[in-house]
Amino acid sequence: MVIGATIARNVPRWLPAADLGRLLDALRADGRTIIGPTVRNDAIVLDEILTDADLPAGRGAEAAPGRYRLTRRDDGRRFDHAVGPMSWKRWTFPPRAPIRVGRRTATGVRFTSSEPRPTPLAFIGVRACELTALEIQDTIMLDGQAIDRDYRARRSSAFVVAVECATPTSTCFCTSMGSGPEVSAGFDVALTELDDGFVVRVGSPAGARLIDALDLPPADGSAIDAAAGVVAGAREAMGTPLDMSDVRVALAAAPEHPGWAAVAERCLSCTNCTLVCPTCFCTSVVQRSDLDGTTSTSERTWDSCFADGFAKVAGGSFRPHVQDRYRQWLTHKFSTWWDQFGSSGCVGCGRCIAWCPVGIDVRQELGVIAGVGPLPLPRTAIAPLPAASVGRPVAELTAPALGGFVTAHVDGSTRETGDTMTLHLRTTDRTLLSGRPGQFVMAALPAFSAAPISVSRFRRDGLDLTIRAAGPATRAMAALDRGSTIGLRGPLGHGWPVGELAGRDVVIVAGGIGLAPLRPLIDACLAQREELGAVRIYLGARTPADRLYVDEIGRLAGRTDIELKETVDRAGADWFGRVGIVTQLFDRATWDGRNAVAFICGPERMMQATADVLSELGIDAERTWVTLERNMSCGVGLCGHCQLGRFFVCKDGPVMSLATLGPAFTTEGL
Amino acid sequence: MATAGRRSGTRRLRVGVVKFASCDGCQLTLLDLEDELLAIAERFDIVEFPEATSRRSAGPFDVLLVEGSVSTEEQLEELLRLRRETTTLVTIGACATAGGIQAIRNWSEPGPWAAAVYPRPELVSSLAMATPVADHVIVDAELRGCPIDPGQLLELLTALVVGRRPQLPDESVCAECKRRSATCVVVAAGVACLGPVTRTGCGALCPVFGRGCYGCFGPRGGANVTSLVANAPGFDDDLVSARFAGFTAWAEPFRSVIDGHGGPPGAAPAPTAGDAPARGGRP
Repeated sequence: MVIGATIARNVPRWLPAADLGRLLDALRADGRTIIGPTVRNDAIVLDEILTDADLPAGRGAEAAPGRYRLTRRDDGRRFDHAVGPMSWKRWTFPPRAPIRVGRRTATGVRFTSSEPRPTPLAFIGVRACELTALEIQDTIMLDGQAIDRDYRARRSSAFVVAVECATPTSTCFCTSMGSGPEVSAGFDVALTELDDGFVVRVGSPAGARLIDALDLPPADGSAIDAAAGVVAGAREAMGTPLDMSDVRVALAAAPEHPGWAAVAERCLSCTNCTLVCPTCFCTSVVQRSDLDGTTSTSERTWDSCFADGFAKVAGGSFRPHVQDRYRQWLTHKFSTWWDQFGSSGCVGCGRCIAWCPVGIDVRQELGVIAGVGPLPLPRTAIAPLPAASVGRPVAELTAPALGGFVTAHVDGSTRETGDTMTLHLRTTDRTLLSGRPGQFVMAALPAFSAAPISVSRFRRDGLDLTIRAAGPATRAMAALDRGSTIGLRGPLGHGWPVGELAGRDVVIVAGGIGLAPLRPLIDACLAQREELGAVRIYLGARTPADRLYVDEIGRLAGRTDIELKETVDRAGADWFGRVGIVTQLFDRATWDGRNAVAFICGPERMMQATADVLSELGIDAERTWVTLERNMSCGVGLCGHCQLGRFFVCKDGPVMSLATLGPAFTTEGL
Repeated sequence: MATAGRRSGTRRLRVGVVKFASCDGCQLTLLDLEDELLAIAERFDIVEFPEATSRRSAGPFDVLLVEGSVSTEEQLEELLRLRRETTTLVTIGACATAGGIQAIRNWSEPGPWAAAVYPRPELVSSLAMATPVADHVIVDAELRGCPIDPGQLLELLTALVVGRRPQLPDESVCAECKRRSATCVVVAAGVACLGPVTRTGCGALCPVFGRGCYGCFGPRGGANVTSLVANAPGFDDDLVSARFAGFTAWAEPFRSVIDGHGGPPGAAPAPTAGDAPARGGRP
């Protein structure tokens, strides 16, 4: 419909092939750098487009598992090729991005967040699968509790020119994932390429302004019909879609499937699949410091759940075997992604299949492990599954910016054991002081990597951190003395449910340094002692020398309104207490587990053994709470390091009930 | 690693740079750190560095950078002595960390080679095998590569000063290829590439230029060489052992691939008159 001189937004326009340069000029005149497909090193990659001639006219691409080849076309089409190795995340979520600078100054350590100031971009040639991928990364980076500011700056300023897919390749399966091939949302302008020009659709007010400025005529009916044929042809070319309706449930039920070991025989754990994936978002932080250690920069880099060090903590890797990592990746993509973000993590672009050096095809692996096969009936739209809520409500969670470390002052420190110190820190930061028992902070010194440390006491004017010198960073922190400073970011994660204890018996079981996150819980129990039933505290340590807070525990042991028992694994002649494992301390005769809530922290095997005994004593999974150790890095669910099945331990935990954790508590290598 | 780290403001670390069987290229990397040389000299007391100065010194060393493989009896004795005088011993380069290119001789009897190359082979005195330093003494940290990467060397020195763990990622070359937006030569061109099983550190130098990785930085942890050879393009010819028999041939699991494919290329030289007796072979 024509209103005055303007053409209504929903009327497709016509852009002659020779005039594509005008579109590019208009984008550039808007101050944008144009990113689009171009041929480089045997592939069609995404890079800066300076002129129309940079686009891959007359070039195509075909792919198969482990194989990609450029082809020549008979026509001069510029966008008629299957997706290449790079996805747009290269530009919205770059492989390296500065996040903060740490400095040692005369007045103490100071951390400064990096301010993203990206050049506005225009993307040209974005496919439907890619639009879905961008939408998925938007959900992760922009819709959660924490916002990735670098991503937001790049993404929000990007203008999107989508181009309908015409020639999918054998690795494409967007029709199985419900993400294509039609471009339906998430674009400013959408083009359908024909031999002599483009049918142009407008998808946003910004797109309308651009197209109006180009003064394009309406497309004629035959061009519109031809454009519809392009998309229909693309759909047809992909053949019968796979039936993905059960994959989420089937994978969640298959952690012990023998198919994982079989695919691990072939998997190189080289990380290629995750790095070409347009939705994978795992990162690590790399520190660079100057030679005297006074200034250091922290940079976020792409990482992968297949990398050896990705799930490592001081004691080793939580996913030591390649089959653990392949299971993590595939299950995350097709199953636990739903739990975390309300959608599949796969858009069917097929890059992980084509760019796997040994040609592992996720479609086949899903067939073996999750029974995925072709849809039996003509394809119907797959209704999205509802997002499952994970953990408890998140109102208590605040998510400070990734670079946002606050400087805290060391008022003093207490030596606990040979390798463990408690730092008494002072801060006026209200966010830090608002922390709850069981929450943790990221602690950082310039030049060292930040470490997740649970808070071992909250005070009105500060907090305590009990730090075991397990590596260089924690060694440097444990060595801090009065007057020095440290950077803190937090509080992070969910704490113990201290508000739900009234009228209950409380059982607290700690192993070794696991007492640290339980100490604020003990404080909270003492503060509401009259409202609780029995309070029983059981502490285990390797040797008498490994006991924490010895004086304080001694005073607690003298109280008549709580039961406190200690044991050690082994001891010399100077130990007059018990020797044995902590569960032997439970006085079963006097217990009634049915009204008790239990809190456990210690090595994972100790927690599992303790939970088993507590269960026998009538404390069920809903009332058994643990706190988990993983290698938290961002602390807000953005870096992927601490994933445990469908959970991010940093934000869904670290404190969780066994009922919430379910099989994730005991599955090896998760 | 055992650390010789000191916080800023304390005495300079005594550093030595020594070499055994090697080409000196790795120690020269230290001199290539031109922008940082002054800062390095401020923080480190480089007391032994034959490539840079004729000044000689004895231990003890806070940090000793060791280049080269152990190829002679004298080198072995020297290494054992130096280890006793050193707090943090760091091997640098493929020779010190993996045996180097010269370790390919470990597959052969040395006698015929010596006779083919030297006019008076009886003057050549070497151990039967060229071996990495870690075969003989405890190594606290290693910098891989042929040659080592200047950025990794600087990272190591910085970490030593600050007292932190150097960030030397044990990930595949592929990860760096992808971060650099380099197109995979395996998938796009069918080129044989050791990148998926090789440790990063070079910045994906060869793949960026369209070449397959030839493993200078040696195998990464968990390198699945069996699947690479069986399933990746480019390994379907009779050059499999040649591809692994490079600068890090002697490092497992590369060594096993070479063993499983008939040993390194190039048989022992044709016998000549006056062959010296073999000085031992593989144990």
